Amino acid sequence: MPKTEIRVGGLGGQGVILCGQIIGRAAAIYSGKHATMIQSFGPEARGSACSAQVIISDEEIGYPYVTKPDILIVMSVDAYAQFAPQLKPGGMLLFENELITVDGKLPAGARALGTPATRFAEEIGRRLVLNIVMVGFFAGTTGLLEFGAVERAVRDSVPRGTEDLNLRALRKGYEYGLEVVAAKA
Amino acid sequence: MRLEGYPKDVTLRDGASVSIRPIEPDDGEALAGFYRELPEEDRLFLREDVTRPEWPEEFIRSVDFDRVFSLLAEHQDRVVGNATLYRSRHGWSAHVAEIRIAVARPFQHHGLGTALASQLVLHATSLGLEKIVAHVVDNQVSAKRAFEKLGFHKDAVLRGHVKDIRGVTRDLVVMSNDVSHLWEAMAALMADYSPTMGE
Repeated sequence: MPKTEIRVGGLGGQGVILCGQIIGRAAAIYSGKHATMIQSFGPEARGSACSAQVIISDEEIGYPYVTKPDILIVMSVDAYAQFAPQLKPGGMLLFENELITVDGKLPAGARALGTPATRFAEEIGRRLVLNIVMVGFFAGTTGLLEFGAVERAVRDSVPRGTEDLNLRALRKGYEYGLEVVAAKA
Repeated sequence: MRLEGYPKDVTLRDGASVSIRPIEPDDGEALAGFYRELPEEDRLFLREDVTRPEWPEEFIRSVDFDRVFSLLAEHQDRVVGNATLYRSRHGWSAHVAEIRIAVARPFQHHGLGTALASQLVLHATSLGLEKIVAHVVDNQVSAKRAFEKLGFHKDAVLRGHVKDIRGVTRDLVVMSNDVSHLWEAMAALMADYSPTMGE
């Protein structure tokens, strides 16, 4: 796997950092890759702009900051407005398509794939797990990590007793991601 | 519909082996047989008249794995227990589910009710529910103890709410299990905030 830079953006309380942690954990612990993560958030516990920078690679990573992400995962309008112009030309935008409308901010050749993650999370039983739907969507659309590795990372990361619902959210996002990719092929 | 993890084999305290699985569309006859053999005294505490010929089919039609999730316990191809989780998808109690359990007399006091309730609690949690309630008649001591083992506690007592087969008025105990702390833990994990930030 070549070095892949990923930025996750959203609002505090959407589980942006957890989303980044799960991707990093799936890569580093369950896929034998190298991974780094940098997190940043505002002073408020909820509602402030928040992002995670994740790099995964077969090689050691010398510099952990993401400057031009290959993949941008966004869960809020503000995160899209702030980070979309930074996406690498030809990069991939994964977005919550009932919260965000994609406009002309994307660089040339970028692919934008959307998912109604909030609605899926509500249908599954908890709006809270929209970030896990997004992790599944990331796994399904990018194919960077095996689903089993991501599944184990989710199981390790969420509170005991909530695993089943979180794993259903993950699978929903993953299967939808596969469908979206197949439809665009 | 086949659910992951089922059928689940359980060994009861007396060594009997029981298999637990979600109810299926062709279980009507077996379910009717199970409820027919329950003593009248046990049937009295059920919410519906399960002896009506139409009841099993009506009940099975209502099962949808979302609002009504029902499990059967089988021993040597006979139904020996039935446990159901009811929830509403709308209204102010959409976060609450109710458990109802019936166990054949020879299998009572051997842990089957606990095993069935435990499966329903797990299922309720996986649906994102926050509170699970069960109604127990005050003198059903072992049923109350079984629910307590699963984290239920006495939430309310409805005085003189039921009458047993001899016409004796009894209290109905509403027991509940608040599992919202699981989701509070998940919300805390998703706060995207560090309390030590800036230190």
